[in-house]
Amino acid sequence: MTGTRPTVLAWLGLAARLVAGVVWIVAGGLKVAEPEASVNAVRAYQLLPSSLAEPVGLALPAVELVVGLALVLGVLARGAAVVSALLFGAFIVGIASVWARGIEIDCGCFGGGGAKAGAASAYPWEIARDAALLAASLLVASLRRTPLALDSLLFAPRPEERATTHEGAMN
Amino acid sequence: MSSNSRADARAKAAEMRAAQQRSETRRRFLTIGGVLAVMALIVGGSIWFGLREQDKGEEKLADAASSSSEYGVAIGDADAPRTVVIYEDFLCPYCGELERATRDDLTALAADGKVRVEYRPFDLLSRIADYPIRATNAFALVLEKSGPEVAKKFHDLLYENQPSEEDPDAATNDDLVDLAVEAGAAEADVRGGIESLSHQAWVDEATAEAAKAGVTGTPTVLLDGEVFQDGRTIDELADNLISELE
Repeated sequence: MTGTRPTVLAWLGLAARLVAGVVWIVAGGLKVAEPEASVNAVRAYQLLPSSLAEPVGLALPAVELVVGLALVLGVLARGAAVVSALLFGAFIVGIASVWARGIEIDCGCFGGGGAKAGAASAYPWEIARDAALLAASLLVASLRRTPLALDSLLFAPRPEERATTHEGAMN
Repeated sequence: MSSNSRADARAKAAEMRAAQQRSETRRRFLTIGGVLAVMALIVGGSIWFGLREQDKGEEKLADAASSSSEYGVAIGDADAPRTVVIYEDFLCPYCGELERATRDDLTALAADGKVRVEYRPFDLLSRIADYPIRATNAFALVLEKSGPEVAKKFHDLLYENQPSEEDPDAATNDDLVDLAVEAGAAEADVRGGIESLSHQAWVDEATAEAAKAGVTGTPTVLLDGEVFQDGRTIDELADNLISELE
């Protein structure tokens, strides 16, 4: 590894963190106040039994919002990035599955949802978008820390350093 | 300084380092725990909020189901042991699917006195095209001029000849007149009103009533006042509904 590569990567990681985080905040924020619509959007995928569609539809917007906030603020960023990647993976599977079954629905990604004629034409682009965001999430998850993260404050003084300075002071 | 006290100091330092490390680890876990707790609080809070909203919606629906509506047509005995209310839009493809999957069985069950079924059409999808308004207007007109039996038949014909959401204008006003006549209405009674949207106010009121009842999508099926959504697909929903009633 050269000296400059990690920092470039770290800044890329910051960009990825912010992009994915903002997308989640927007997506979650638009849906969190409309639980019914969100449950309907989940139901429209016809993947989950209705007893599951409801809790998923209720919880998803809030989870999206929290993951987005965590990514943007950089709080537990790696964990949030892992959850983010899992969610994007699940959405890709969901969209691919309605596509394969010939169901035409609004993906409900940013509110809305339900049947929509001609929606299939948007599926490739939606999958591409989610794949790009999945890649961004994986990049964040692969980096120990990205710049401008609250994590750096929360977990700042590393145990070894503090202990060594103490020992130094004693001598 | 004796070697003893130096060893002592070293041991002390090691001990302090260990203690430091322990407290750092504790702090670390507390921080993580705190952050996770805040996250759980946000998620839990919004789920609670969502459930409350949903309960409110369902109460409204239950009220709506127990009161009979002027904006619809019913089959079966008024005092049948079970009641089904279906909110629907004439353009919505899932409503068409539900119609195809349930009509014969519901008609038979209603005839046997087992259930009363009320169809409440309203305009949900006029943002796509004006077909929902034109069709619901025609339905209201036929209901007024030719009575509920003809209106029910017209309702069935509308779904059998449902235009696709991609090209709702394929169903012209002439088509609506033809279907109304086929259902048993007199052309002279309905042509003018279909072309001039004579019952637009009825459509608006039916739509307002559905919104007031908390209907947010179509088809919304109420069984004995409760939202019935048992099934992943419309066909599953239809099968489950029928077997519930049989």
